[in-house]
Amino acid sequence: MWRGRAGALPAAIGALCRALPPGSRPAPEAFRLAKFDRPEASLQIWRLLYSLLKQIHDGGWTELDTIGTQIRFVKSVLWYHGYGRPEFYQLPSDGSQGSRELLLAFSWLLNRISLLEQLLTVNRVKIRDEASVCTCEDNLSNSWKDRTEIALEPCLKREVDVRYLQWLNGRLRFQWRSLHVESQEQCKLLHKIHSYTSGCHMDQTIGHFSVTETDLIRQPDSYKQLLQSLESETSRLEAFLEWKRLEPVYWHWMETVLDTLSEDANTFKSEGVCKEKNTLPNANLCCHIASNIIGEIDKLTKDLVTLHDGLHELVTCKKSAWYEKVKSRERTLPDEREFCAAVRTITEAVKLKLSDLKYHCAHKKNGMHGPYRLVFKDKRSASKTGFLSSVSKEPITNVVNATEVISKLQMEEATLKRELKRLQEECRHKLDEIAEGLVGVICIPPMKR
Amino acid sequence: MSIVTVQLGQCGNQIGYEVFNAICSDFHSTHGICSKKENESYQEACKERFFSEEKTGVPVARAVLVDMEPKVISQTLSMAARSGHWKYDHQSHFCQKQGSGNNWANGYSVHGPRYRDVIMNLVQKEAEKCDRLSGFFTVMSMAGGTGSGMGAYVTQCLRDAFPTSFILNQVIWPYGTGEVIVQNYNSVLTLSHLYQSSDALLVHENDAIHKICAQLMNIKKISFRDVNQVIAHQLGSVFQPTYSSEGASQYSRSPLGDLMESLVPHPELKMLGLRNIPQMSENSLAYSTFTWPGLIKHLRQMLIAHAKMEEGIDWQVRPPLPGHPVPPKASPNQALHFNTSVANLVVLRGKDVQSVDLGGFRDPALYTSWLNPQEAFHIWKTPRAFNKYEKSASLVSNSQFLLQLMDNVVGKAWNMFASKAYVHQYTKFGIEEEDFLDCFTTLEQVISSYASL
Repeated sequence: MWRGRAGALPAAIGALCRALPPGSRPAPEAFRLAKFDRPEASLQIWRLLYSLLKQIHDGGWTELDTIGTQIRFVKSVLWYHGYGRPEFYQLPSDGSQGSRELLLAFSWLLNRISLLEQLLTVNRVKIRDEASVCTCEDNLSNSWKDRTEIALEPCLKREVDVRYLQWLNGRLRFQWRSLHVESQEQCKLLHKIHSYTSGCHMDQTIGHFSVTETDLIRQPDSYKQLLQSLESETSRLEAFLEWKRLEPVYWHWMETVLDTLSEDANTFKSEGVCKEKNTLPNANLCCHIASNIIGEIDKLTKDLVTLHDGLHELVTCKKSAWYEKVKSRERTLPDEREFCAAVRTITEAVKLKLSDLKYHCAHKKNGMHGPYRLVFKDKRSASKTGFLSSVSKEPITNVVNATEVISKLQMEEATLKRELKRLQEECRHKLDEIAEGLVGVICIPPMKR
Repeated sequence: MSIVTVQLGQCGNQIGYEVFNAICSDFHSTHGICSKKENESYQEACKERFFSEEKTGVPVARAVLVDMEPKVISQTLSMAARSGHWKYDHQSHFCQKQGSGNNWANGYSVHGPRYRDVIMNLVQKEAEKCDRLSGFFTVMSMAGGTGSGMGAYVTQCLRDAFPTSFILNQVIWPYGTGEVIVQNYNSVLTLSHLYQSSDALLVHENDAIHKICAQLMNIKKISFRDVNQVIAHQLGSVFQPTYSSEGASQYSRSPLGDLMESLVPHPELKMLGLRNIPQMSENSLAYSTFTWPGLIKHLRQMLIAHAKMEEGIDWQVRPPLPGHPVPPKASPNQALHFNTSVANLVVLRGKDVQSVDLGGFRDPALYTSWLNPQEAFHIWKTPRAFNKYEKSASLVSNSQFLLQLMDNVVGKAWNMFASKAYVHQYTKFGIEEEDFLDCFTTLEQVISSYASL
């Protein structure tokens, strides 16, 4: 089975390397060395993993980290994605050994998180006309409380002046406002570009230039750079296609790597080497989190059961009360017409209340998410203004209307505002209760505007 | 990074005019000893910040002029147009015929709501002309009726209409022996209301500026114009373009944002004082030279010793030694010797700014205990000189500068209020005694926050 594909393996690995971003390409030789667990290759593969994972997670901003910090980062990212091989986490932080483990981790990433596809997406040539849209339901509100509790425990409790915290909070608010000003400016300028260049684009469905294209018009000499980046992207995509064709060869080879691994493991066992204590990164924290999650699940099930019982009780109570009311009402029944009118108003009111709930549940499924390209449509043309289309599809299938997105976001804003108001009222009540308990203290509320 | 200026009342309009004048003459100044490229980017930044382009080529100030009387506004508009270098947009003003009679309540409860839509329309138009609205800068005095009362109302409207913009209120503190009897009431009401909507209050005292004119500028007969010009010079020296961080490659694009974030993030500590050095008449300027160490030393002592100008500084005042905390002051009425700062911003302009040593300002003893100098002290620089001053340094400080002042005003106003003097003039227009009490409480809170630094 292997003989016929002897030449295919170097081709596969070569394609894989060419599909990786320039600047993060390993030598194909490193793969062979890694299979035999050669220490020379381990540092190289650590660095490779660091650079690739940084591109996906932090947008490629690599700091001048020591190898120790880099290794810690890689381990934490793999932990986050759920890689569970303890031998990997036990590798030393000077990067001197373990190239075979690293090879396994790398291949796992290739498969599990579609590493190549993510890298290609992240490194696309940008047209800078993008907006990211997210109308997914946010279910994180309850998990914040528990997370902060976990975080505080290991830290030493230091005395912090509340004024300093107010200071930091104020800074955060101002920075958020500056961000808002910046994005407003960006919108304004984008709008200017789109409206001034309308009618210039060859592609009629879009009709105007993007920021990159406008930039090119203003500085024609920068075409060389753009051409280079486009060529680089094209060659990476071609390498990716070749890789996809030859991929099975690679996975067959990885099976042989696993075989050599299990052979060596058996040899070690027979020599009676005892394994070191589990040195998972932040092991205590992880165990804590794991047991916390189990605790949380138990709590949730208990809560659900109590809620269910409570609801059942409430429903039976209300039903019996209702039946009694109906019985007493039956004796004093108004004439039929009034009765029907009353029933009608009641059904309408109920429908209104339920429709809100229904809408909420129905729209949980189709939340828009991801980057979109902004396309400006003039009022004169048939379609509405502010028209978004998905970046990757051609012909345009995933089209979203900006006004739709805006109204969705406004509804969400209204819900959040109501929630905020409710929480503020709660806080106010709590403070009032506390104030009543204090002797000789007058609470002065802030000035009304 | 454009700033829209709202000039309110007689005082506000006159000062606003002088500010734009000072900025424009700095723009055209050829004294800058920096490279041509530097000068060009400075001018471009200055232009975008304060002026908008028009077809005639004359820059139009980004401003809205508001007053209840027509006289001052028409004077201001014509003076600007006559200069030839800049002008106001003749659509961007609002005035009436009556005036507010130095009655805060009249300005706040009557004129404000009545003319709110017209004024906010003008502001909206100016805001839309900006590609990037850095924020609003309002100029008003606290003693009168229009500037203070209507100004407080307009600031509230600005906050409602632009919840994410930065609002800086330039407030003129009236003369201690001022002409308006109810100026203490007006001041208390203005300050407390502004505190709710504005991000920062930058205060200029008429008394202090008057002394500067008399002693430093050697002006014999001091007119309001002279006082306003000094104020305009001080403001210009802070708000003209600068690099707000080390290694920045372009002039700061959000001056108000940088200012707010450095100095006033704490919601109870919003009072800012401004000091500028050197300050002298143009004749003497030609014969004077300055060194950075000298200027910085004087500025630092001005900060520590509550001095308003570079003459008559009390050099005996020293920062407390580490380990010996500042003795708690029994009441803010005791003369404060040492000025504790929350945060400071120093703006340096001119020759050799790169070599200036500001270690003296980084002394932790200068600052309150809960903030360290890395976070409390900020520097803005530019090698381009301001107006005719080869070297100039300004200090914007969030410190106990204004503590004594506020305490005095609140004390006087309270005494008047206790005997219900003139209160009917306010209740007549809807400002009840409870509102007065709320204002007093708010200001007492502010005073106590500053006293306990």
